[in-house]
Amino acid sequence: MLEFTLNRRTLSVAADPGTPLLWVLRDTLKLYGTKYGCGRALCGACTVHVDGAPVRACVLPIESVAGRSVTTIEGIGNGELHPLQAAWIDADVPQCGYCQSGQIMSAAALLATNANPGDADIDTAMRGNLCRCGTYDRIRRAIKDASVRLRDDAAAALDETGETGA
Amino acid sequence: MSSLNRRQFMQTGGAVALTVVIGAPPRAAYADDAAGPNAYLRIEADGRITAILPTSEMGQGTHTGQLMILGEELGVDPAAIRVEMPLRPSDPYRLSFGQMRSVGSFGIRSWYEPLRKAAAQARTVLLAAASERWGIPANELTALDGHVVQKNGDRRLGFGELVEAAAALPLSDDPPLRPDSERHITGHPVPRVDTPAKVDGTAVFGTDVDVPGMLHGAVRMSPVFGAEVAGFDEDSVAGFPGVAAVVPVPNGVVVVADTWWRAKRAADALDIRFTDTANDSLSSVELSKAMLDGLAGEVPPVMRRGEAAARLRDSAKTVEATYEVPFLTHVCMEPLVCTAHTREDDVELWMPTQGHDIVRMTVERVLGFANERMTLHTTYLGGGFGRKTHGEIAEQAMLASRAAGRPVKVMWAREDDVQQGYYRPIMTARLRGGLDADGRIAAMHIQLSGPQMGQTFEHVTVRNNTDFFSVASLVDQPYTEHFALDHRHLDVPMPLSPWRAVSSSQNGYFLEAFLDELAEAAGQDPVEFRRAHYASHPRHLAVLDRVAAMSKWEQPLPEGHHRGVAVVASYGSVVAQAVTLRMEGGKPVVQQVHVAIDCGRAINPDSVEAQMQGSVIEGLAAALRHEVPIADGRAQRRNFDDYAPLRIDEAPAIAVEVVETGAPLGGVGEPGIPPLAPALVNALFSATGKRVRRLPVAEQQS
Repeated sequence: MLEFTLNRRTLSVAADPGTPLLWVLRDTLKLYGTKYGCGRALCGACTVHVDGAPVRACVLPIESVAGRSVTTIEGIGNGELHPLQAAWIDADVPQCGYCQSGQIMSAAALLATNANPGDADIDTAMRGNLCRCGTYDRIRRAIKDASVRLRDDAAAALDETGETGA
Repeated sequence: MSSLNRRQFMQTGGAVALTVVIGAPPRAAYADDAAGPNAYLRIEADGRITAILPTSEMGQGTHTGQLMILGEELGVDPAAIRVEMPLRPSDPYRLSFGQMRSVGSFGIRSWYEPLRKAAAQARTVLLAAASERWGIPANELTALDGHVVQKNGDRRLGFGELVEAAAALPLSDDPPLRPDSERHITGHPVPRVDTPAKVDGTAVFGTDVDVPGMLHGAVRMSPVFGAEVAGFDEDSVAGFPGVAAVVPVPNGVVVVADTWWRAKRAADALDIRFTDTANDSLSSVELSKAMLDGLAGEVPPVMRRGEAAARLRDSAKTVEATYEVPFLTHVCMEPLVCTAHTREDDVELWMPTQGHDIVRMTVERVLGFANERMTLHTTYLGGGFGRKTHGEIAEQAMLASRAAGRPVKVMWAREDDVQQGYYRPIMTARLRGGLDADGRIAAMHIQLSGPQMGQTFEHVTVRNNTDFFSVASLVDQPYTEHFALDHRHLDVPMPLSPWRAVSSSQNGYFLEAFLDELAEAAGQDPVEFRRAHYASHPRHLAVLDRVAAMSKWEQPLPEGHHRGVAVVASYGSVVAQAVTLRMEGGKPVVQQVHVAIDCGRAINPDSVEAQMQGSVIEGLAAALRHEVPIADGRAQRRNFDDYAPLRIDEAPAIAVEVVETGAPLGGVGEPGIPPLAPALVNALFSATGKRVRRLPVAEQQS
C-alpha cells in the first residue's frame, strides 16, 4: 500500500510498481477528469500538480508520489470554481474539451508563481499542452482574465485587512 | 405523430425521469426512448424540458446551437433544456441519405428546419391548451421563458401545468413559425451549455465511461496494412497480473485486464505473428509514382462543361502544374474508445461516435442483432474530425466483452490511433489553365489521380468514374464555364476516412494555389484576378472583399512580411482567408490569419468564430508539417512528437468576420479548413518565389 494526499485527503492505494499515476487516478480511484492523450508526456492532457508543480501523470510512476500531495482538476477549486475555471467559462474556451483539464492545471501552476503573466510567459508555461481544436486564443484570454481576477481578489483582501487594522 | 405515441407521452409524462442508467456518471447525456410531443422534445408535468438531439457533441457547440433553435421557437431559455440523445438510430434522427451521423457540417444546417418545426408544434398545442383553459383566443397568448402568458394581461401558466391537456391535442404538420421579429436567441452569441462540465472535469467522454464490473482492453494490431493475425501465444502473457482474456479481432487482438495499464503492458509483450501481404514493401514513393503514372494517357472523365479542350488549345497562354497531398490522420485528443456489454440477447454500447447507423450495421454484422437489440449511449466526443464515423472500435469492444462475459472498455493507445489508418486520402492533381488575350481564364482541365474517398462507405456510389466526395469543391469551381474534370482511381490498402473537410481540403489547395499561378501568368494581383472572375458568384466576392479589407490588402506590408489569399466554397459555405507571414531562418512564421465566412446566417456567432479559429490552427499544422508517410507497408508516424498539432507559441493572431448575403444556412465545422493551405503557400511564393506544389510545406524545406 502506498500513501499520498489527493485533493487534500490522505489515502492509500495498491498498484503495481511503475504504474503511472494517471492510471491509478482513473482506473483505481475513478477520478476521470485527468485524461490520457499520448502516454509519453507530449500533450499535457494528463497534467496534475504534485506539491504544487505541474507534472505529466502519464509518465509519473505511482511510487514517486508516496507521501506527497497531488491535486487534480477535481480538487483545483477546493469545492468552488477556481478563478481560472470561471474565466474559462466566461471566454467559452473549450471546444471538444478533452484537453482542458490539463490546460487549466498548467495555467493554475503558472498563476501560482506569476500573478501577471505576459504572452511570452504564457507561451512558455502552456506550450506543453496541446489543443487539437485550436482554442489557444481563448486560453490566452482566459489566463489574462483570471490573473486580473486573482489580483483584484488579493487587493480586496488587503483592503479588508487594512480596514480591520484601522 | 400518431395518437398512440401521444398517449404514451401522457402516460409516461413523469415516469421517464426515473430511467436508471447503470453506472451513468453525472451530467451524461443518456437518453430514454419515451417520446413526446415529438421525437426531439419531451416536456414533463414538473416543467422539465428535454431535447433529444440528432447529432453528437464533438466540440463544435452543435448541441448549444440546436438548443438555441428549439428554445427560440418554443419560448424557453436554451440553457434550461436538458440534453439527451436517442439510444439507437431511427428515422427522425437520420440525414437525407438515410443514416444517423454527425458528419458533413450538417449539425445546424440540416437540423434547423426539423427542430424549429418540432418546437413550433409543441408551442402551438401548449398555447391551444391554455387558450381552452382560460377561454382566451390563442393569438392573444405567447410562450415565454417556459410559460404561456397573456400578451396584454396577467395570465401565466408553466408549460408543465399544460402538458396533460396539450398532449391530447393533435399536432400540426405545418405549425406557425415565429416571425423574424421574435427571433431574439439565434443570431446572438450564447454561452455553450457543455462548457461548465468541461472545465471542472465532470464531462463524460468515451474514455470516462464507468460501468460496474467493467474490464479494460488494449489492442495489438497488425503494423502492416492488410495483414491478418497468423497466430499468437497466450502463454506469453500468462504471468502478467490482472489479464483476463486475449481476444482475436480483425487484424489483431484485444488484451483484456482489470486496468488499462495492465492490459496495455500485456498487449505490448504478447508474442504475436501476422500474415505476409502483398503490401509488405509498399512505400509512399511507390504510391506517389502510381498516382503520377495514373495521369499518363487518357484519364477517365468525370465531367465536361462548355468547350474546355478547344479553348485550352486556342488560349493565348497556358499554365500547367502538378500538385500532391499526403495521407493525413486525425489525432483526436481522445483516442478511439468504446465500452461494450455483449449479452446473450442484446448489446449495450457506450461510445463517442459520429456514426450511429454505422455502429448499428456493425452490431448486425458482428453479433447478428437487429437495431432493437442494441442500446447505444452517446458520450461527449474528445474530437471527431471524421475519424469516429467508423465501427472497428465497437467491433473490438463487443468481441472482447463477449469473450470476457463482462463489460469491457477498449481504448487505443496514441500509437494505435496514428498507425492504424482511416486516413485522409493521398491525391495527385494535374491542373491546366488557359488565359485569353485579356488575361481572363478561358478554360481549365483538372485531372485527379488517387483513391476514391467514398470507397469506405457502402452508400456512396461511383458515377462517371468518381464519387461525390472526391470531387468536392471542384465540380462547382467558380472560375470558368469551360471546364473538364477527370479522375483515375488508385486502390490502396489503407482504410480511408472523412477528415475535416476531406476532399475540399485537397481540392481547395490544388485549385486556389493554381489560381495564383494563373494570376501570375496574367500579370495580375491575386485578389484583383479572383474578383474579375466572381461576377456571377456574389458570395465568393463578398468574402473576398471582406478579407481584403480586413487584411488591408491594398496597403504595403512591413519589410519582410508576405501575404497570400484563397477562397473556397464547401459544405454550403464560402470562406476567404488571408495569411500574413514572415520568414525566420528559412522557415515561415505565420503571424496573422484573417477569415471571412458566409455561412448563410450565424446561429451562434461565438461558435462560428471558435470554429474558424480552430480551423486555422488545424489547417496550418496540416499544411506546415503533417503527413503519414508509408514504408514497408507501415505508417511512419507514431505520436505527437512526429505528428504534432500546433502549439500555443506557434498560434497566429486570428481575426474572424461573418458575412451574410442572404444565402441558405451553410456548414461551419469544416469550411474553414480548405482555404488555409493555399493561402499559406501563396504567401510563401511571395516570400520565396517558389511554388509549394506538394504538402506539407516542411518537406520542401528539408
